[in-house]
Amino acid sequence: MPEVRLHPNTDVLLEFAAGSLSPAQAVAVSAHLFYCPHCQAKSGTLDAIGGNLLADSEAVSVSVDCRSDVMAQLDTVGTASPEKLEINDAAPQGVRWKNLPPLVNRLFRESGISWRHLSSSLRVARLPVGERRFELALHQIKAGGSAPAHDHRGLEITVVLHGSFSDDEGVYHQGDYITREPGHVHTPIATANTECVCLSVLEAPIRLVGRFSRLFNPFLSFMPV
Amino acid sequence: MITASKMSFDANDANDANKVVMLAEARSDNWSQLLMKVGADRDKAAFALLFDHFAPLLKGFLMKGSALGPERAEELAQETMIKVWRKADSFNASKASASTWIYTIARNCRIDWLRREAKSSRDIEAEDIYEFGDENPSFNSLVQIRNRDKIRENLAFLPPEQLEVLAKIYFEGKTHSEVSLELDLPLGTVKSRIRLALNRLQVRMTAAEAKQDA
Repeated sequence: MPEVRLHPNTDVLLEFAAGSLSPAQAVAVSAHLFYCPHCQAKSGTLDAIGGNLLADSEAVSVSVDCRSDVMAQLDTVGTASPEKLEINDAAPQGVRWKNLPPLVNRLFRESGISWRHLSSSLRVARLPVGERRFELALHQIKAGGSAPAHDHRGLEITVVLHGSFSDDEGVYHQGDYITREPGHVHTPIATANTECVCLSVLEAPIRLVGRFSRLFNPFLSFMPV
Repeated sequence: MITASKMSFDANDANDANKVVMLAEARSDNWSQLLMKVGADRDKAAFALLFDHFAPLLKGFLMKGSALGPERAEELAQETMIKVWRKADSFNASKASASTWIYTIARNCRIDWLRREAKSSRDIEAEDIYEFGDENPSFNSLVQIRNRDKIRENLAFLPPEQLEVLAKIYFEGKTHSEVSLELDLPLGTVKSRIRLALNRLQVRMTAAEAKQDA
């Protein structure tokens, strides 16, 4: 696999390790980590900072009941079974792209796939993660097709899951984590010979620009649930 | 005090990936060994020792900064330790020390608890988000993994204002902006303290960030 070139910045990985990223952003980081050994290692180091802070914390004694509760439960709670997870990680029916992050497959499996066409070459499927600030979706652009030019009122994060696309700033490949700040206008175009599938995190509904903008619904035509 | 590893290497010797692998495999702190015993043999006596050490640390960790009251912190510590018991067979000492592994479980319990509190309509579990496949380290990554064993000593040398910011982020799960509001500091100052702290802890910045700093 070619090396991933675009990474989340260190502040984002730090918030991921500390557990303070919003769920939709955390899913995007998790998808990037699936493809990027470099950030996996960095994320492991940031976890280790947490582990060392825990090891050096001030101990506060727990109640006797707490201890006896836990010890009494050991026989009944059983163990977590990793086999079950593997089955859930397989791509659900109707998803033909190989090498998607297990988490994306799981979200797909749980929400079902419900594509909406936004234009002849672009369609979108929501992935509900139960949060209000950001929405999470998959975008699919047909080979050689383009997404309408759009700008952002909020942050947009894109992780390429399959194929590649380009815009006026570069070409993006599998695993790349692309951050677009509010106000940025761009027109993503899928590479000619293969369709492109991306995971997107959007902070606010996107406004389309250009002469056909009125014909389109907003890029994602719904508010976060 | 228990050190993460008894082996140490010359800081400049960053080129020997084999040593890094050896180091990880030789991770031999007592807590990690106990945890492996729990995983392999469902050893309750070993688990009781882990509980007596980690449950109070978890409670203290979760209470710090009054983010959670003592009762809530104890409940979460309890939930974390039960997960430790259930998942012990997936603990891999070559990837993380016992305290790091237990930290990640506590973090995930806290995330799920906060979301339950917020009554989010539909949730994926934190555990699903944080399982993104096995660490498959490239050479560069191995150097980073080796650096983890120095984190503890390096933490001891951080200036208090840098440690304070890190503590807010890890102990209280605060975002950078929340830390900036709470400490009444500009966001840029918070970010630069984090940057300095992470540099000292040898977390590598991305090429783009390094360029910004230059």
